[in-house]
Amino acid sequence: MEKQHHIHLVPGDVGETVFLPGDVSRAKIIADHFDEARFVAKNRQYITYTGSYKGIKVSVTSTGIGGPALSIAVEELIKVGAKNFIRIGTGGMIQTWLPVPSIMIITAGVRGDGTSREYFPLEYPAVADFYTVEALVKSAEELGVEVFPGYERTHDAFYAESTFAKIDYLARDKPWIDAGVLVTSNESSALFTLAMARRCRSCSVICSAGSHQRPDLVAPADVFKKTISDGIKISLEAAVKLHKMDHAG
Amino acid sequence: MASQDIHSERQHHIDMVMGDVAPTVLIPGDPGRVEVFASLMDEVKKVAEKREYITYTGKKDGVPISCTSTGLGTPPTAIGVEELIRIGAKNIIRIGTCGAIQDFLKPGDMIIATGAVRGEHTSEEFISMEYPAVADYRVVRALIDACKQLGLPYHVGIIRTHDAYYMESPQAHGDFFARIRPWQDLGVLALENESSALFTICSMQGIRAGTILASGNPIYTPNADDCDWDGNIRKMVQAGIEAAKLLHARGLA
Repeated sequence: MEKQHHIHLVPGDVGETVFLPGDVSRAKIIADHFDEARFVAKNRQYITYTGSYKGIKVSVTSTGIGGPALSIAVEELIKVGAKNFIRIGTGGMIQTWLPVPSIMIITAGVRGDGTSREYFPLEYPAVADFYTVEALVKSAEELGVEVFPGYERTHDAFYAESTFAKIDYLARDKPWIDAGVLVTSNESSALFTLAMARRCRSCSVICSAGSHQRPDLVAPADVFKKTISDGIKISLEAAVKLHKMDHAG
Repeated sequence: MASQDIHSERQHHIDMVMGDVAPTVLIPGDPGRVEVFASLMDEVKKVAEKREYITYTGKKDGVPISCTSTGLGTPPTAIGVEELIRIGAKNIIRIGTCGAIQDFLKPGDMIIATGAVRGEHTSEEFISMEYPAVADYRVVRALIDACKQLGLPYHVGIIRTHDAYYMESPQAHGDFFARIRPWQDLGVLALENESSALFTICSMQGIRAGTILASGNPIYTPNADDCDWDGNIRKMVQAGIEAAKLLHARGLA
């Protein structure tokens, strides 16, 4: 098989579980948490490292921001053998009861993005894989990391719905705040719908340094660095659990 | 604006007050299935009956559990669920039947829904279609463990909720296959008529919801209904009761 058009990978280049950060620079940070890792490919914003963790083959591919770029990565990763996707990303919290910073395990996405709509009718649910949710929650418990399972609002226009927006973003957030949605970000709905339709597993671990309601209260960089590291650690442990479950006996 | 004492009022449709139901309520569509629930409990009494809403509350192995029929479709289900939440329900589990649309499904298989396609309109009156109809993962786990304990074959996945039975069933008008094909391709296990409203309404209010459905043969096969529905429904209700016990044991009721 020729190497994939955007991610520049061929079968064998990635493990069954691939971690998906949006931020290109986070690919290396995630790879540094593996037991060993090697750089595999780089094209556009898609950087891939593959290595091992506790004896299983794992990979990380940065997707860039948003559903359009993520959907390309996921489609191409499936073609080269990926089966489980764990997004490790950041977002803005919209519930004031959540501590700053927080790690959220995303069980479902509000489909405010355009990519998933182009693929699937809006009535199709953006739901994370149940077993991946469980593996992440259990791993967090084992590592003593507090996590909050719940929904993400996925949307496209960062400068329409973030603390950096010029418009009244809290007015836009209100229906989702009222419905108990935890956080806003830009990728989970596209990931969850696409993975479900392609019979793959997916979930997201979203780390947040602050909330839309309190733009003045932001986790310091060194504190948030540890939050991201904790998010990566529970994702790695979850990958081990999924491997054991899918390759039992 | 709702009145301030909505929780203490006798509820308009289900005809019950706070205290009449246990923290976990099983909701079949068919009022007749409430009797199956009653027959499986250690002690039970009928609490209310009005329109299609019949409620029994009782105990199984010391755990209080209720069962309220909702009638068919999301309009009465939404009313029943909303009113059950107002009088204290914390876990609401739909127990029902469905039309299987994947080749691998067999009579007696239990389908445990993680989410539902929102092919109905009731939930859209509550919140935009962008919002996902998703079961609570702890209820999903309880239903899986219940099936394991009872030795019942089960499948975990998404289902499609819709309104018009005679548009998407073997007796449907027009090209029934053309209508279900996209959902088969997207991994939908089965069709039914209530869950997406249940999931949406509950998750918006922080209430745990789930669905377990008894499967027949795939609805496009000639022997679709050729199975022991009564026996399989009974096993499904047993699974619902076991799941309620597990939620109680796990501090979730």
